[in-house]
Amino acid sequence: MKYSPLNNSAQEKIDGLSIFLFIVLVIIGFLSISSATSDVNQEFYSLSPIAIKQLIWIGGSIVIIFTILYSNVVVIDYFTYGFYAVAITLNIAVLFLGREVSGAKSWFGFGGIGIQPSEFAKVATAMALAKYLGTYGIRFQGARNIAICLLIFLLPMAIILIQNDTGSALVFLSFFLVLYREGLPGFILISAVWLMFLAICRIVSEATGISSYYGYGLLLGLGSIMVFFARKDRGISGLITFIAVVSAAFYTIVGTVYSSLLQQYQRDRIELVLGLKSDDRGLGFNLRQSKIAIGAGEMWGRGYLKGTQTKMGFVPEQHTDFIFDTIGEEWGFVGAIVFLLIFCGLLTRIVILAERQSTTFGRVLGYSLACVLFFHLSINIGMTIGLVPTIGIPLPFISFGGSSLWAFTLFLFTFLRVDQVRK
Amino acid sequence: MEKGSKRQVVYIGLIAFVFIIYSLKLASIQLGEVPYKKMAINNALNKITLYPSRSNIFDRKGKLMVYSTQMYDLSSFPYEIKKLDTGLLCSILEIDLPTVRHLILDARIRAKKRQKNNAFNNSALFYANLSNKQFTLLRENIYRLPGFYIESRTDRQFATTTAPHALGYLGEADESLIVLDDYNQPGDLVGITGIERYYEKQIRGIKGVKTVWQDRTYTERGVVKDTQFNYPSTAGPDVISSLDFDLQEYGRLLLNGKKGSIVAIEPSTGEVIAFINNPDYDPNTMVGRERAKTFKSLLRDEQKPLYNRAVKGVYPPGSTFKTVMALIAMQEGVLSPETTHGCAGGYRLGSIRVGCHPHGGPLDLRGSIRISCNSYYCQVFRDIIDNPKYGDVKLGYAALEKHLRSFGLGSQLNIDLLGESRGNIPSVAQLNRRHGDRWKSSTVISLSIGQGEILLTPLQICNVAAIIANRGWYYAPHLVKKIDGFKDTAWDRKYKLKKFTTINPTYFATIIDGMSDVTKPGGTANGTGIADIEICAKTGTAQNPHGKDHSIYMAFAPKDNPKIAIAVLVENGGFGATWAAPIANLMIEKYLKPGVETSKPAMEERLKTSVIK
Repeated sequence: MKYSPLNNSAQEKIDGLSIFLFIVLVIIGFLSISSATSDVNQEFYSLSPIAIKQLIWIGGSIVIIFTILYSNVVVIDYFTYGFYAVAITLNIAVLFLGREVSGAKSWFGFGGIGIQPSEFAKVATAMALAKYLGTYGIRFQGARNIAICLLIFLLPMAIILIQNDTGSALVFLSFFLVLYREGLPGFILISAVWLMFLAICRIVSEATGISSYYGYGLLLGLGSIMVFFARKDRGISGLITFIAVVSAAFYTIVGTVYSSLLQQYQRDRIELVLGLKSDDRGLGFNLRQSKIAIGAGEMWGRGYLKGTQTKMGFVPEQHTDFIFDTIGEEWGFVGAIVFLLIFCGLLTRIVILAERQSTTFGRVLGYSLACVLFFHLSINIGMTIGLVPTIGIPLPFISFGGSSLWAFTLFLFTFLRVDQVRK
Repeated sequence: MEKGSKRQVVYIGLIAFVFIIYSLKLASIQLGEVPYKKMAINNALNKITLYPSRSNIFDRKGKLMVYSTQMYDLSSFPYEIKKLDTGLLCSILEIDLPTVRHLILDARIRAKKRQKNNAFNNSALFYANLSNKQFTLLRENIYRLPGFYIESRTDRQFATTTAPHALGYLGEADESLIVLDDYNQPGDLVGITGIERYYEKQIRGIKGVKTVWQDRTYTERGVVKDTQFNYPSTAGPDVISSLDFDLQEYGRLLLNGKKGSIVAIEPSTGEVIAFINNPDYDPNTMVGRERAKTFKSLLRDEQKPLYNRAVKGVYPPGSTFKTVMALIAMQEGVLSPETTHGCAGGYRLGSIRVGCHPHGGPLDLRGSIRISCNSYYCQVFRDIIDNPKYGDVKLGYAALEKHLRSFGLGSQLNIDLLGESRGNIPSVAQLNRRHGDRWKSSTVISLSIGQGEILLTPLQICNVAAIIANRGWYYAPHLVKKIDGFKDTAWDRKYKLKKFTTINPTYFATIIDGMSDVTKPGGTANGTGIADIEICAKTGTAQNPHGKDHSIYMAFAPKDNPKIAIAVLVENGGFGATWAAPIANLMIEKYLKPGVETSKPAMEERLKTSVIK
C-alpha cells in the first residue's frame, strides 16, 4: 500500500487528470507572473523577486499536497469543524490585528509576507457545509437545516464584507449554486436571475435618466395579461400577482439603494461595466488598458516575455488580479482559448468527480470546489475583458499570492484525497 | 438516477455557457478591428529623435563660418499631463501659471499636427532651448514631472556675422515645409533662407532614433535593445563655401554706415567670393529662444535688415552698362575700336537731350569707356537698333535684347539661393506698352546708358564683370564650393557648365583696355586705383527717382588671368567713383594681397568711418 492506511475504504488511484491540469495551471501561472514582473530589457531569462516569491509559494503548496496525501481522511473529517472555527476566528481577528491593503482590512502581515484568511475561509466553509449536510439524517430540508446551511457560508461572507473585501465576500454566493445540487429548488436560482435582470434594468434607468415608470408599467402590463389568461386558476393567478408585487417592490428598493446608499465610485464602476459610461482616461483606464493588453495579443500573441502592456504597468495589478492579461497579450487568442479550455476542463472534471462520490460529504465538497473555482474564473476573466465589474478576486492557481494558491491547493487536494478513498 | 444527479448537466452546461460567451468576447477583442496592438506599442515605446548636428560651413580657405551647438528642449506628452506639479515646473522654467497653460495648449497643437504627420506617438515639443540652469534642474527633477522628457537638438552659432544673407538662418518648420517634406516634424529647426535653406537636405544630416520603454507614468524605463528601433544620428557633411571669411569681414567694415551690396565672383569658376549687404543683422541673435522675438523685430525694422539686396535689389546699372553696349555693337558690326564720336556736353536729338560731363575732343571706343561718354553710347545704341540690316527699330532692338539675355540678364542667374530677382531687360512688348506702338530709337535712348527700364541686381552686375574678365563666358554664380560626399548631376549641370554669350571673344580686348584706364589718370575713377594691380573697371551712377543717385562700380583684376570680379553698389552714394570704386578696389587689393597692409590707408579709413545719411 502506497498511502496511509484507510478507513476500510477501497483503494483507488488519485485522479491523475485533475493533478495534471492543476500542474499545468500552476506552471502557466508561474510563467505569467514571471513575465508580467520581468524587466523589459533583460537579456537572459532571469526571475523577478515576485516570481521567486511565487516559487516559494509553490514549494509551500507541494508540502501541503503531500501532507494531505499522507493524511487519513478520518483526520480531515474529524478536524473539519475545528478548521472552520479557526477560519472564522482568524477572519474576525484580522479585523483588529490585520493591516489594510487597498482599503480592505483582510491581511495578516508577517514581515514581508501577508496571509489572507478569507482565502482559507472558502475551503473551511466548504468542508463545514459538506460535513453538516453529510451528517447522518440531515438533508437540505426543513427550516432549521436550511438556516444552518445558509449560516455556515453567510457568516464568513458577512465577516469578510466587514473587512471591506467585497470581491472575496461575493465568492461565498457560489455556495447557493452548490445547494442547487443538494435540492435547492431551481426556481430560487431563476428568481435570482430574474431579480438581477430587474436590478440591471433599474440601474440603467437610474444612470441614464430613463423614467423608472416604464419598468412599473411593464410589470403591471405583463402581470395583468398573464393573470387574464390564467384567470380560471386562482392559484396561478395569485402566484403571478405575488411575483409582480415582489418584483415591483424589489425594483423600487434597488432604485433607492443605488441612488442613495451606494458610493459614487461604486456607481461609476457598475455603470462602466454596463456600458453606460465610457471614460478612457479616468476610471475606464484600467479596463481599457486591460482590453488593449488582450487585444494586442491578436491571434497568436506577442510572444512570451514580450507583453509590454503588462510589464510596463499600463495594466493594473498585472501579476495578481489582471494576470489573465499577460496570457492574452503574450499568447493571443489561441493561448487564451487553450487556457480557458484547460481551466474549464478542470472544472468539468471536478463536477464529474463530485458526482461519482458515494458520500454527501464528498459530493458537497466537490461541488463547492467546482462552484467556487467557477465563480473566480468567470468574475476574474470577465473583469479583464469587460463583461463583469472590476471586482478584485484572484484567478485560482494563476494569480500571484500564497494565500490564494495554498487555499485552492488545499481545497483541490482535500477533495481529490476524499475522492481517492471514496467507497 | 436520483433527481440531484441530473442536475450535474446544469453545472456542466453553465461552464460551457461561460466558455462560449468568453471565447466570443475574446475573439471580438483579439481578432476584431480595433488596432489594440498599435495602441499597446504606442503606449510602451517612445521614439526619441536624435537630432543630428547640422553641417559645419567653412569658407573657401577652410575657416569655420557656421557651426552647430547643442541645445536642450523639454518635450512632453501634452495629453497625458494629469497630475502636473505646476509649481515645480514654474519655478524651474521661471514662468508663471498662465504661461504653463499656454505652453501645454501649444504642445497639444504640435502633437495634433504630428499625429496628422503619422508621428509615432502624441508627444511634442513643450519648451525649446533650455538654459544651462533650467537643463540642470530639469535633469534632476524630471522624474517628478511624468509625461515630460528632455530632448537635445542642435542650433547654430556663427563665427562670422558678415554673411547672414548668404548663410541664412534656421526656423521652426511650418506647415508648408512639413507638407513638402515629411522628414520634418513640428518644432524641428530647418533652414529658412540662404545656404541653410538651399542645401537643407544635405546640411541637416540624418536624424537618429532612440526608442525607450516607458511605463504607465510615462517614465523612461531603459532603451529598447532591438537595433531596428535604434540608430544614431548622422551629422551633416562639411560644407565648403566659396566665400572668403576675411574678405567678408573686410567688406562689411568698408560698407559700414552705407546702404548697399558688395558681390565678388571668381570669374574662372563662378564661385562667389564675397556676398555682403548692409543693412544686415547679427545672425547670432537669430538662434535659440530669442529667435522668434528677433525675427519679429527684424521684420518690423524700417531698415529692412532681412532684405537680401544683392540678389533681390534691382537697380539701373548706369554707365557700367556701356561696356555691354559696346560689345554688342561690335558683334553687330556697327562699332569698331576706331569709331569716334564727338560730344558737345551731351547728346541732342530733337527735344531729347542726354547730358554728359565735360571732357576733351572726339573719343574712340577705348576712350569712351575711360571717360564714360554718354553721347558716344547714345550714338552706339542708335547704330545697333537702327541698323539698316534689320530695317525696323523693333527688329534691331530684338537683336539687342537677345544679346543682353545671353549675359544672363533679365533672368535668374540661378545662384544657390532662393528668391533671386530676375532684374529686367525690357522686351519689345514691354516697350510697346510703355511708349506706345510707335517708339523710335530716340524714345528709348536712355537704355543706352543703363537707365530706363533696364534693371539689374548687384549679382548680375558682378556677373557682367566676370563675363568681361572671361572674355565672353561665365559659370552660374554659386556660394557653395563643395559638400563632402554630395554628388548631384543636376547641381553639376547648373554650376559646372560654361555659359557663353553671343559675343565673339576678340571684341573684348578694346573694352578691357578701356576699363584698365578707368582708375588711371584721366579715368572716371582716377585716384582710387591700387599700385601694382591692374584693375579693369567701369564706374556707374544710377539715377534714382527717390533720392540721390546710386554709386555703382564693377571691376575685375588682374587684367590677365583675372582672379576676382566685383560689383559694389552704394545706395544714394552719388558718383560711382565716390564710394563704390574705392570699396571695390580695396576689396580687390585685400583679396589679391591677403595679409598685406593696404597701400591706401587714408581711403580705407575714410570708408570705414563715413556714414551716408
